[in-house]
Amino acid sequence: MTATNSEPIRTMYQRRSGEIRRAFEVSGSGEAAVEARSALLDEVIRVLWADEIAADPRIAQGIAVVAVGGYGRGHLFPFSDVDVLFCAAKNEAERAKDAIRRLSQTLWDCGVRFSPAARALSECERFAPENAEFSLSLLDRRSVAGDGAVFAKLDERVAGKLMVRDAKAIRGEILALTRERHARYGNTLFHLEPNIKDCPGGLRDANVCGWLHMLGSVTAPAEDAEFNDAMAFLTSARCFLHYRQQRDENTLDWQAQDGAAESRVGLHGSASPDAAAWMRSYFRHARIIDWWLQRTLESAGLKLLPGKELRRVKVTPTHGFQLKDGQVVLDPAVLDSGAAVDPAVEPEVVLSAFAAVAKTGANLSSASEERIADALHRFSANLEEGPALWQKLSAILTGERAGFALRAMHGIGVLELILPEFHGIDALVIRDAYHRYTVDEHTFVLIDTLHGLEAPPEAGAPEWRVKLGAMIRELQNPGLLYLAALLHDTGKGRMSDHHAVESAVIARAVMTRLEMDPYDAALVLRLIEAHLEMSAALRRDIFDAQTVRAFAARIQTHEALRMLTLFTYADIQAVHPDALTPWKAENLWRLSMSAANQIDRNVDEDRVHVQEAGEDVAAVLALLPGKEVEARRFLEGFPERYLKTRSKESIVQHFEMSTRFADEPFQIAFHRGAAVNEIILITRDRPRLFSSMAGALAAWGMNVVTADAFVNAEGVIVDNFRFTDTFRTLELNASERERFVDSVRDMVAGKTSIERMLSGRKGRRRRAPRVQVETRIEFDSTASTHSTLLQVVAQDIPGLLRAISETLSRLRYNVEVALVDTEGETAIDVFYLTYDGQPLHGEQQTELRAALLEAIEANAG
Amino acid sequence: MQKIEAVIQPSKLDAVKDALVEAGVAGITIFEARGHGRQKGHTEFYRGREYAVDLLPKVKLELVVRDDMVEKAIQAIIGAARTGRIGDGKIFVSKIDEAIRIRNDERGEIAL
Repeated sequence: MTATNSEPIRTMYQRRSGEIRRAFEVSGSGEAAVEARSALLDEVIRVLWADEIAADPRIAQGIAVVAVGGYGRGHLFPFSDVDVLFCAAKNEAERAKDAIRRLSQTLWDCGVRFSPAARALSECERFAPENAEFSLSLLDRRSVAGDGAVFAKLDERVAGKLMVRDAKAIRGEILALTRERHARYGNTLFHLEPNIKDCPGGLRDANVCGWLHMLGSVTAPAEDAEFNDAMAFLTSARCFLHYRQQRDENTLDWQAQDGAAESRVGLHGSASPDAAAWMRSYFRHARIIDWWLQRTLESAGLKLLPGKELRRVKVTPTHGFQLKDGQVVLDPAVLDSGAAVDPAVEPEVVLSAFAAVAKTGANLSSASEERIADALHRFSANLEEGPALWQKLSAILTGERAGFALRAMHGIGVLELILPEFHGIDALVIRDAYHRYTVDEHTFVLIDTLHGLEAPPEAGAPEWRVKLGAMIRELQNPGLLYLAALLHDTGKGRMSDHHAVESAVIARAVMTRLEMDPYDAALVLRLIEAHLEMSAALRRDIFDAQTVRAFAARIQTHEALRMLTLFTYADIQAVHPDALTPWKAENLWRLSMSAANQIDRNVDEDRVHVQEAGEDVAAVLALLPGKEVEARRFLEGFPERYLKTRSKESIVQHFEMSTRFADEPFQIAFHRGAAVNEIILITRDRPRLFSSMAGALAAWGMNVVTADAFVNAEGVIVDNFRFTDTFRTLELNASERERFVDSVRDMVAGKTSIERMLSGRKGRRRRAPRVQVETRIEFDSTASTHSTLLQVVAQDIPGLLRAISETLSRLRYNVEVALVDTEGETAIDVFYLTYDGQPLHGEQQTELRAALLEAIEANAG
Repeated sequence: MQKIEAVIQPSKLDAVKDALVEAGVAGITIFEARGHGRQKGHTEFYRGREYAVDLLPKVKLELVVRDDMVEKAIQAIIGAARTGRIGDGKIFVSKIDEAIRIRNDERGEIAL
């Protein structure tokens, strides 16, 4: 039996669809288009169903034709499926089987992707976990045709039973589906080619907000003007995509982005932006949807990321905020001298609150977020740069959930207030074949990846994973690595061909404002400048000595190598979830290992010759106008390592110190850092200097982390010791700092007995080591033409460096270069030695090995 | 039709790809691999500890070409991958009975 001649319907549907499309192209209103298509389908279905009733009047009663899903919301995108429920009072659906088939066929002939479902009323009132999507589609229901009484019963049972009795289960299902969908997109909305429907911040998230509102007790986002603007933008963009691709395609690929920008999709005004600017508009709107999703989930008592349980850590009680019910909540404003003082305008409070977010993984409450966003201009006026700001930023960066906190800061605008340079990469799309995320999101994923390495590796994890994990946990000042990570791509905002160089320029300005320690700043700069070096080296033969030597020469120190290895691992991983294969990760670890073995091998050989002045020498001389001759004399003969690992400003400071020997032959500079302290000795070379410094520090209970000693052609030495203050003597007693410097100077000058000072420390209890390190002593006669390389690997315990260097002095070996490093509980000390100006011969090496083993054992005992 | 499988140094991949394109080869499949031949492995010391490097990183290429292209492709690979040192890699050649383009069921050399 044929109820309808489909041809006139098809002609009408296609004509009207064309009109809707043309109206969209003129007005740009996606919302008008989706509502018009929904109304058109209503009209077509009513005609078709009326024809079926005319052919078989028995189906006029007992069956409701119900629009569900997007069609039920009255929002039907140009190529979306049309979901219709034929709801029967009892078992009338069987009777209407042929009518439904014919109606479906006609709609398919019209080019409509029609998706019918036939159910009895009783099947609709109960939540079915195995078909959760059907139950969810019923939340958006609308009568189109058929028996109105059946629809009224359906409406009553869905609203009165399903949505009340099963509300908890439905909410759980919505949460599970949302989690699963977000996970497919890496839990971020910042994709270079986002799916406008399913990505976080997409239209599906807006639906989720609506469903949770229907299920009760949460705010309706539709009452918010910004939310409605975002919906209008995304709806227009999705319509544009459907019309452009002629199918239900929702990915904004690069060609579609160009087209959308050119057509000013979703925008007001006449100017056409470029694709990058249009995408920024997209991300701005997607952020609003995402914010509403978070807020709606929060008010429904749901949390999107279940795997990230809140860390049970104590947050120091600070005025201005509290940690309660898994949220960081700002205190209410208080009255002070009659005026309300809001903690949201206090940088100290706000940044401490974000540090708590980073430390615990608790989110900032929506109300607190709103208060901070509203008070940004006053926050900005109160913001002071300098070391205190760096301390706060470092606390945020080193928190286990730093990425989470930074995204929140970025979303509200706090991050750009403290680092305006970040604005250049806000939601920045840079098109290449590798990256998956916008530049800012890539940065946050990188930071997340680094923190992921801090977690203990799973049982059976490959060697590289174990080693990289140990490497990051053993960093003395991890804040520097995270700062380099935060700033490494900021140069991309300047659209230069050399973004690493541009990022370094930006980082230098940031670190100047933060008044960072020059050594730390130089290390961060080197990391940023070289952040592509290791990836580049991986494309060459990593077992080729030349490749490894060249790479090691660029990196210079073990500390920088460790950080660059970790950074490169996380940077590749953050490009795309599949970018870092185990094959690549293992190669990275192998290259790091080979470079570590190479890094100290040529230090004594590669020296500065100012006649062949390179860029580094020229940069120092430029800072010393009128003193070039003296400066050249100072630089001549230092190992290249010295020039490459110090900031130019530090070298200038060392030079200036060397000009004051007449006043004080032992020039000492001390700098107290947040994590690591530094003491520099500049004097004329003489026996026992290095061991005296090591002894003086040991006598004060300081733990040497890294050290080096370099001498120039005129015999001026620069000894640099970086150490932690084990007993917080210098941290807690400001007055002790001057006494410490004077005491070190006296010990080095021989005015005070080091042995007497050290004797006071002997016999103190030491913590048992967690890892036993076997002592290894190696000599290399090939690393230098005029000295012998000695490498000592041993358990890092107080007094070790003093024991080794004192042994060298006692046996009259001269230290030409010293490079001291620690890795966790392992001390790795390298010395280039001469005896009467000559390399060590075999017997001397044997004698020295025995003496060192004895001294190290005695120190350990 | 013949299949050419080549195991080469990873650092030579770009050069080999360019040489094959230059020689007129249209499609290549690339695998990240580890292994050793006569090169064997070696031992590395890292900060006082010993690590065995017994399986070295390699890249494996697979391409299927017409019979008259086999020698040209082989020479392209050799020309780009050879350094003369142990570890340059190996090339294996085998016959292929059939090639089918999934999209339209074309068969034989036209499907390559």
